[in-house]
Amino acid sequence: MSIQVQNVSKMFGSFQALNNVSIDIESGELIALLGPSGSGKTTLLRILAGLEGLDEGAILFDGHNITNVSPKERKIGFVFQHYALFRHMTVFDNVAYGLKVRPRKERPSKEEIAKKVNDLLALVKLENLADRYPSQLSGGQRQRVALARALAVEPKVLLLDEPFGALDAKVRKELRRWLRKLHNEFHVTSIFVTHDQEEALDVANRIIVMNNGKIEQVGTPEEVYEQPNSPFVYDFLGNVNLFKGRLHNGKLTHGQFEINVPTHLDSHDDAIGYVRPHDIHIEKENSNNDTVAATIVHIHLLGPIVQIELKREDIDEYLEAEVTKEHYRELGIKKGDVVYIRPKQLKVFVPEDFSI
Amino acid sequence: MTKSFEAQPEAPLTVNRTATKSYALQESALIKWTFITISLLFLSLFLILPLVSIFVTALEKGWETYIASITHPDALSAIKLTLTVVLIVVPLNAIFGIAAAWVITKFSFKGKNLLITLIDLPFAISPVIAGLIFILLFGAQGLFGEWLYQNDIQIVFAIPGIVIATLFVTFPFVARELIPLMQMQGITEEEASISLGASGFKTFFLVTLPNIKWGLLYGLILCNARTIGEFGAVSVVSGHIRGMTNTMPLHIEILYNEYQFTAAFAVASLMSLLAIITIVIKNFIEWKAEKS
Amino acid sequence: MELTLKKRKRNTIIPGFSLTLGYTMLYLSIIVLLPLSMIFFNTFSMSWSEFFETISHPRAVASYRLTLSTALAAGLMNVVFGTIIAWVLVRYQFPGKRIVDGLVDLPFALPTAVAGIALATLYAPNGWIGQFFDFKIAYTPLGIIIALTFIGLPFVVRTVQPVLQNLGIEIEEASASLGANRLQTFFKVIFPELIPAVITGFSLAFARALGEYGSVVFIAGNMPMETEITPLIIMTKLEQYDYAGATAIATVMLVASFIFLLIINIIQWYTNRKFNQF
Repeated sequence: MSIQVQNVSKMFGSFQALNNVSIDIESGELIALLGPSGSGKTTLLRILAGLEGLDEGAILFDGHNITNVSPKERKIGFVFQHYALFRHMTVFDNVAYGLKVRPRKERPSKEEIAKKVNDLLALVKLENLADRYPSQLSGGQRQRVALARALAVEPKVLLLDEPFGALDAKVRKELRRWLRKLHNEFHVTSIFVTHDQEEALDVANRIIVMNNGKIEQVGTPEEVYEQPNSPFVYDFLGNVNLFKGRLHNGKLTHGQFEINVPTHLDSHDDAIGYVRPHDIHIEKENSNNDTVAATIVHIHLLGPIVQIELKREDIDEYLEAEVTKEHYRELGIKKGDVVYIRPKQLKVFVPEDFSI
Repeated sequence: MTKSFEAQPEAPLTVNRTATKSYALQESALIKWTFITISLLFLSLFLILPLVSIFVTALEKGWETYIASITHPDALSAIKLTLTVVLIVVPLNAIFGIAAAWVITKFSFKGKNLLITLIDLPFAISPVIAGLIFILLFGAQGLFGEWLYQNDIQIVFAIPGIVIATLFVTFPFVARELIPLMQMQGITEEEASISLGASGFKTFFLVTLPNIKWGLLYGLILCNARTIGEFGAVSVVSGHIRGMTNTMPLHIEILYNEYQFTAAFAVASLMSLLAIITIVIKNFIEWKAEKS
Repeated sequence: MELTLKKRKRNTIIPGFSLTLGYTMLYLSIIVLLPLSMIFFNTFSMSWSEFFETISHPRAVASYRLTLSTALAAGLMNVVFGTIIAWVLVRYQFPGKRIVDGLVDLPFALPTAVAGIALATLYAPNGWIGQFFDFKIAYTPLGIIIALTFIGLPFVVRTVQPVLQNLGIEIEEASASLGANRLQTFFKVIFPELIPAVITGFSLAFARALGEYGSVVFIAGNMPMETEITPLIIMTKLEQYDYAGATAIATVMLVASFIFLLIINIIQWYTNRKFNQF
């Protein structure tokens, strides 16, 4: 099912939770709503589910306006942040609930319900735990029960609120993979809320980055990571070094750096350059005069990527750089060494671009 | 800079707290046993001895007198009246308690705190005053007195008066138990139920009620105990008509004031048994609620 | 009081707002608010001088003094012994602990009249306990204090107990590790944590004691000017069909209870603020 969100706004008292938000989601997409807490992502999800009303705007499912349709008629499956499993019901009864509460004439027979529930439990690999109560399950198992329960009503849209938030790292990775697999099999339009960039980049095929009740950027994981269109997105997705300087004749001056910025030839203003740690070039000898000297403060040597903390010699600022292990070995640097650095790639935003 | 925080898997090492309780966290045995002795002595003087004395005095003149006292027609009619009051008051206040707890815990609206305060109000009011207000309302010179007289409806000095005064006194019990419990449980299970297509009533009976059953039962038990035992308010509105408007506590008072101590204590012992049963059930519920 | 959903638009999908709110308000009005308003309604039917004369009658004033002082004494008794009992029940193991714990609820479960006749008999000059004392206990203010202590005991124990239970052992360990001895730890670390609960327990017990009737009338002796509590004065006036007089005294009691509740709420608010500042 395709979803259109049209100019939706929502206030909680005097707090603007959503400010004129519009999104088009195509049928079968796997979308991540990414943003910090208070960005409005959960509110948007709850409005899509019909759990929350909206002040202005409209929600369309497959082109039909369902803004005032009750949640039970929306054909959605909602997975709650802390699962909201019925604690007094067994796993089986939890999954069967959505079928059992249907009006008598729409309700499947007992046998049909049992078969359906058992199929779903097999799908989430919990067939042996059907008689357990939620309190007897681990976090990951509860999450899977919540998913099975939401899927039992054959939703056209699956909405997940921070689906992996309360789980430990290992289980989270596993469930991430599993959710992607599930989506590949069922192709149900799925939207999940997360504040974890890694999770969004890993699972979703499109990411909606939200901040302060507005949409900052919509795009594939590559797009939002490689070409952030605002300082906020730059900052929120991945680590970044800030070069707070001044623009003059197409150059950004920051300490002894003078970096060519062909995109901002006419600006003469304070500006900030954003440089990813892996875009910091390090060399041992000063081969070129566009570099700046910096002292290595700390080397973090875990995994294939080496993180290097540097203190600049020209001004009192710290930088973070990342190099591959091979490159690190080639350089042959150690803590306390003075090296020469320059940004390989930098994106500049002048203050009017700012929303942080 | 934002970096996701990866939670560490739970450490397998657990420390047994009680086993390693250090010396610094314990008082000397002398202090411990002094405190225990003080507690037990105090409880003996104020709770245990009174309870024991009720049964001893009741049986002072043997089983026959005891049986005769509690099977006396006046005693039996008092028991019957008390049970009637319970059967009306407890369900009514239970329905109110559930409705009030539902509106207070599932919705946010202006004036909620005022509403909570008003629900607690009867606890702050002397039972005698609770009786008085119904005399002022329904008594001969009361607001509705004239109208009731003309229509030949008797409320005060009759059973309806006893019921309504008891309703007032036991008004907050169920609501008070349910409000914090339902507050703690939040609304996500109800939301989940409704998002899965259940109606409001189905959600209440299939999801909410099973979750609050122990709290509800607890409130019912407390409400029941107070209903059975209410004295002051009922004393004001009853008119003390023997065999007609005497509840068990009022019957005890009459017997006591007539120096029929054995009979008074015999009925009192029945009520004490009920109190003990109440406490046992209450503890059972607490134990059950803790387990689930 | 404006009782509308904060947002006019549908803000929640939980059903039953109008139904439950309507029922709650209706029931509350019929059972509590309307009857209670009769007190003030009827008080206004008296002239000011009549009203003042009734409430300042020496017998009434003596009863206020007696009711307040005995309720206060009983409340303080319960603070001391209730806290000790709560401490013992939470921290120590001893045979019969479960039974003792359950027994604390007895005053909630036992009808007040039953408690009243039992205490009166026990503490009478020839009673099981009274016989050991040279002075009279029952039929004196001392007897009233005993009855009120009985009634109020569970309040303090049951409010302090959960707080003690939830008090992390870590803060005691921290205190001990910083070199405090056991007594210092108790008074500087544990006790301050208990204060809000103790105040709550005291105020509940005190409020209950102010209005208590059933357990007191049997042990009090009910001598005018000496052992006559205020609720009894209301009762006596009612029996003489002096409804106006009864209402006047009731007004005094109600106002006193409300002022007391207000003071307690302010204290609670203050202590909560103080303790939740960090």
